[in-house]
Amino acid sequence: MVEKKLKVLERNSSDNQYLHKDFHGALCYAIKYLDQTYGQDATAEYLKQVGRETFSPLIAALKKEGLIALERHFKRIFELENGDAEFKREDNCLVINVSKCPAIAHLKSTGQLFTDRYCETTVNVNLAICQAAEYQCSCEYKPGIGKCVQKFWKKEDIK
Amino acid sequence: MISCTEFIPAYSELFKFLEQKGDKPAVISFWEHLSDSFLNNLRDLAAQKGLAGCFEYWSHTLSEEAADFKMTFDEENQVFSIEMRKCPSKGRLLERKDIKPYHAYCEHCDLLYRRVLEPLGFEYNIDLSDCDKASCKLVIKRK
Repeated sequence: MVEKKLKVLERNSSDNQYLHKDFHGALCYAIKYLDQTYGQDATAEYLKQVGRETFSPLIAALKKEGLIALERHFKRIFELENGDAEFKREDNCLVINVSKCPAIAHLKSTGQLFTDRYCETTVNVNLAICQAAEYQCSCEYKPGIGKCVQKFWKKEDIK
Repeated sequence: MISCTEFIPAYSELFKFLEQKGDKPAVISFWEHLSDSFLNNLRDLAAQKGLAGCFEYWSHTLSEEAADFKMTFDEENQVFSIEMRKCPSKGRLLERKDIKPYHAYCEHCDLLYRRVLEPLGFEYNIDLSDCDKASCKLVIKRK
């Protein structure tokens, strides 16, 4: 006779690190869905809303402390998610040269949906954060390879 | 990219954005789409292993999300349950005083998972009455 079991798993919040990388996949589905249902302008509008509404602490820090706040923010993210990026600050400009985007690396290594439009997240969220803090930015990327160059500078400064 | 640790506020904002576009039906349409396209791992595990597959699926996701929970699988009576003491998603939204969560945020869990599991022959019940405290109770039975 096979004994029927009672399986129990109990965890406290502090037992594990909060790092559920499949959320990158959910965002990919959201971008694809918005593109197909409402068009690419709506996707950009949504991503800017995310930048304005959910990154208000970063916007406040950027206004108060300047580019060091952005550098600290992105360094923390890339370390947490095991990405590779080089950070340089020169001529009042922060340059982030991303050689391994951890989100794209995760999506590709786990065979999840990847849309070439995913990097528009970086473009539009950064733009909204910078607009709110009176900074400017650019992001040059080639879709799908997980590399980009992001630049940030204050409005009155020369890029 | 935004970090996966920053996704939940963006998710809540997505529901608000969709509701601005087309009221609640627009939000529900997205949830249905996400359930059908994104939850294949849960669908496959539940189809292959039954409630043991549910246990396997949520063991992985809730651990990665650092949830505070008790999960039980009674194999003899074919009952699986999750007592969510502090939902990592809703909990984080409630902690952010600068963010107002989407008013029906927790309903996405009901729709997404119910839509996967009921067609596979499971009875799905979720009690969201304490979701304003980031708590809920999920019970899934084999019909």
